[in-house]
Amino acid sequence: MRYLFFFLSISSYSHAQINCNVYTLKNDSACYKACVEANEAAEFQGTGYSQQKFDKAIALCPTMAYAYFEKAVPYLKNGDFITWKKLIDKAVELDPMAHLGYRGWCRFQFVRDYQGAISDLEKLDALTRFDIGYSINGDYHLQIARALCYKALGEKTKAIEIIETQLKQKDYSPMPFDYLHLGVLKLETDDLKGAIEFLKKEIVLNDYLAENHYYLGLTYKKLNQFDDFKRSMEQAKAFYLKGYKRTDGYTHPVDKIFLVDIERELALTKK
Amino acid sequence: MTKHFLLAIIVILIVYSCGQTQNKTHEVVYPRVVGETKFDSTKDDPAFKPCNELRVAQYYNFGNGFQYKGEKSEVNRIFNENFKTTEKKGETGYLTIRFIVNCNGHSGWFRIQEMDNDYKPKTFNKDIVDALFKITKGLDGWVIGETENESFDYYQYLTFKIENGILIEIMP
Repeated sequence: MRYLFFFLSISSYSHAQINCNVYTLKNDSACYKACVEANEAAEFQGTGYSQQKFDKAIALCPTMAYAYFEKAVPYLKNGDFITWKKLIDKAVELDPMAHLGYRGWCRFQFVRDYQGAISDLEKLDALTRFDIGYSINGDYHLQIARALCYKALGEKTKAIEIIETQLKQKDYSPMPFDYLHLGVLKLETDDLKGAIEFLKKEIVLNDYLAENHYYLGLTYKKLNQFDDFKRSMEQAKAFYLKGYKRTDGYTHPVDKIFLVDIERELALTKK
Repeated sequence: MTKHFLLAIIVILIVYSCGQTQNKTHEVVYPRVVGETKFDSTKDDPAFKPCNELRVAQYYNFGNGFQYKGEKSEVNRIFNENFKTTEKKGETGYLTIRFIVNCNGHSGWFRIQEMDNDYKPKTFNKDIVDALFKITKGLDGWVIGETENESFDYYQYLTFKIENGILIEIMP
């Protein structure tokens, strides 16, 4: 049972299994066998046994991007970015449409390689006539991730433009943190009215986040609305202590706050 | 007839055995778990021991992500206050220190990986490596990995993003 805990908990952050029948239709028995091998390997992600099975799959079908992609995942999670990059590059080379968005997202999330992430996401955008899709953890549309990369590089106006453009897309439903990031960007660019508008929108969409109230509080502080500032920070602390805050099993999300940040602001209300 | 049969069997066994040897030479041997660290008497403190070397989890296995007393902000504070560096041209890239936090919350078996911005191996200035290593070794607020009322050892890493010798960000 305990071993099961380990295996299950390390097997996320990869794609679902692929349908091997596609190779049967192509009469490609070697790649079919490789596909079965790779799907079995993916069940044991992170083990030496699994890596050997991916090697077998690659030997049988060297054009199978999926095997390279899956083989790369444990290196990413372990912080071995050199090995991860070699393998994921091969997956991207073999199937850019399937893996460019993923590589770009991981460069942003795990390595904070903002320039590299932008390059991948913009290449994907140029390659496809369709939507570039979502981050593998389901938190973001990749255009929002691209915006956050520009923000990290100091291009905040561009980041705002990208988010606002995405929010205007037909049939786009805002993701759980879109308004939060837009609100924070407005605050950081001194558009305080805009900050309040989007942080309040975020509260309507996704209230149970200390971050919403913390950044709203900072906006009120800039507006010298002391009572609102204090009330927002107290709400932020109450939520934070209940665990209503930005979390991620692997990394720390952009605009995440810590308890010490809230307490520093609350200390100001006591002076 | 029997003689010919035995000869045929011997030939088949030799051919199979050659094939096996050839396969083995091409087969990459992986550790039991990707990234598994073994004790190295030339660099590791013999006083540090995992509680169960055969069952070391990963920091993300517990569902709480990165766990340090005072949160990641405390780790940032410690490095910001103690990593004294001046601008050093060309000292740009990423330095990762991976280690085990044992079931008592102590850290050990540190391993370092250095890479440039193109994800290629590189070697940073020794002063930078030594300073980051010393501070990392001194971190004593790692939260014990627990599940179902049992404590586990786990692997943790810190990656330092460095630009011209200046520490820019710490991951994860």
